[in-house]
Amino acid sequence: MNYKEFVKQVPKTMRGPLSENLIDILLEGKENIVVPPSLAKTILHYWQRDQLDSEAGLTNLIKATFEAAPETTLKVIDNFDLKELRIALQPV
Amino acid sequence: MKSFGIEFVPMELFWKTTYYSMQAEKLGYNSIWITDHFNNRNVYVSLSFIANYTDRIRLGTGVTNPYLIHPVYTAQSIASLNEVAPGRVICGIGAGDKTTLEMLGKKMDTPLRAMRESVNLIRSQIAREKSGYQGKMFSTSPGARFNFKTKGEVPIYIGAQGPKMLQLAGGIGDGALINASHPRDIERAVSLIEKGAGKAGRKITDIDVAAYTSFSVADDLKSAKKSVVPVVAYIVAGSPSVILERHGILTENADKIRQGLAERNWGEAFGAVDNNMIDAFSICGTPDQCIEKIDELFKTGINHFITGSPLGPNKKKSINLFGNEVMPHFKEA
Repeated sequence: MNYKEFVKQVPKTMRGPLSENLIDILLEGKENIVVPPSLAKTILHYWQRDQLDSEAGLTNLIKATFEAAPETTLKVIDNFDLKELRIALQPV
Repeated sequence: MKSFGIEFVPMELFWKTTYYSMQAEKLGYNSIWITDHFNNRNVYVSLSFIANYTDRIRLGTGVTNPYLIHPVYTAQSIASLNEVAPGRVICGIGAGDKTTLEMLGKKMDTPLRAMRESVNLIRSQIAREKSGYQGKMFSTSPGARFNFKTKGEVPIYIGAQGPKMLQLAGGIGDGALINASHPRDIERAVSLIEKGAGKAGRKITDIDVAAYTSFSVADDLKSAKKSVVPVVAYIVAGSPSVILERHGILTENADKIRQGLAERNWGEAFGAVDNNMIDAFSICGTPDQCIEKIDELFKTGINHFITGSPLGPNKKKSINLFGNEVMPHFKEA
């Protein structure tokens, strides 16, 4: 799945709050949230540079949350009323 | 200068603890302390990873102990970590907790000697002294030294609670980690550290005196309290009667908690924790309430305040609350 293309549809003003919500999914999910170590390190790399809301940062966040907790991720997407992104992610 | 630290128990995956550590550094905390228990993630693996993603914040063991880890290995780990994060590493060491030691069949024999010798041996190893170290509990042969040099000095902080250990911390520690949260306990501890420093010909100002507290902050008092109750329950259960009496806690109430914990009856154990116990063994409340309590602690003579577990009902939010609403009050002052 090309998450980067989806992220391009997210208005820039929403990227900060969306990244906060997505990181919360990863942090607050218990041990059943599985994020591959390499992806976790990539996310930390963007966090270190305050770039989790950048296109690349958000791409990695959505990838991690959607693969670890798809339903919760879709709920967050719904809360932001990102209909196109929702439709794109839905059939997966 | 007032410093602020944060403790993490590496119960969570490595990258979560690292995320929170980076968050703390961004907010201006001065130190991170990772606990050392065999049943959680390894302290040095955690610190090493955190070191790679931080640049300024100091990194300490909070705390390791000489009964389970030989001081030579502590020295080796600390010196190696110091290569990853030069000048940022602190060796926090204490006698350990009895329950954990007993689980592994270890007795806490002569804790003062164990601590004194450990501190001396760690310093001797880091300095690559050729003569070896001869103590009664620990010794090394001449020539048993590292094959690598450690740049600069690595401060050793002593975790202490009892009167003699607090004096020892004042006598030989670069820092003291006071395991308490109530101003009365901290005040008493500071005077004992000062006494120990005096006996060794030192001044208390030579020592970084830290209150290592159980801490919980939230937007509302109820949530902050709810989060700290389990931690307080364990502290009450593990406290000797002299400490309980000092805070007016009845033995039968403490016994009720002990029994509940032993039977894993959390409802009974946590339900028996009252407000007096929470006040005695934690700093807990809204940001304004925490400011008031921390202010009292600084008046006792400490210069380093450490927020220990649980931090709050939501770790990320509580770290932000502390960093944005509590710490600036003291840093700006």
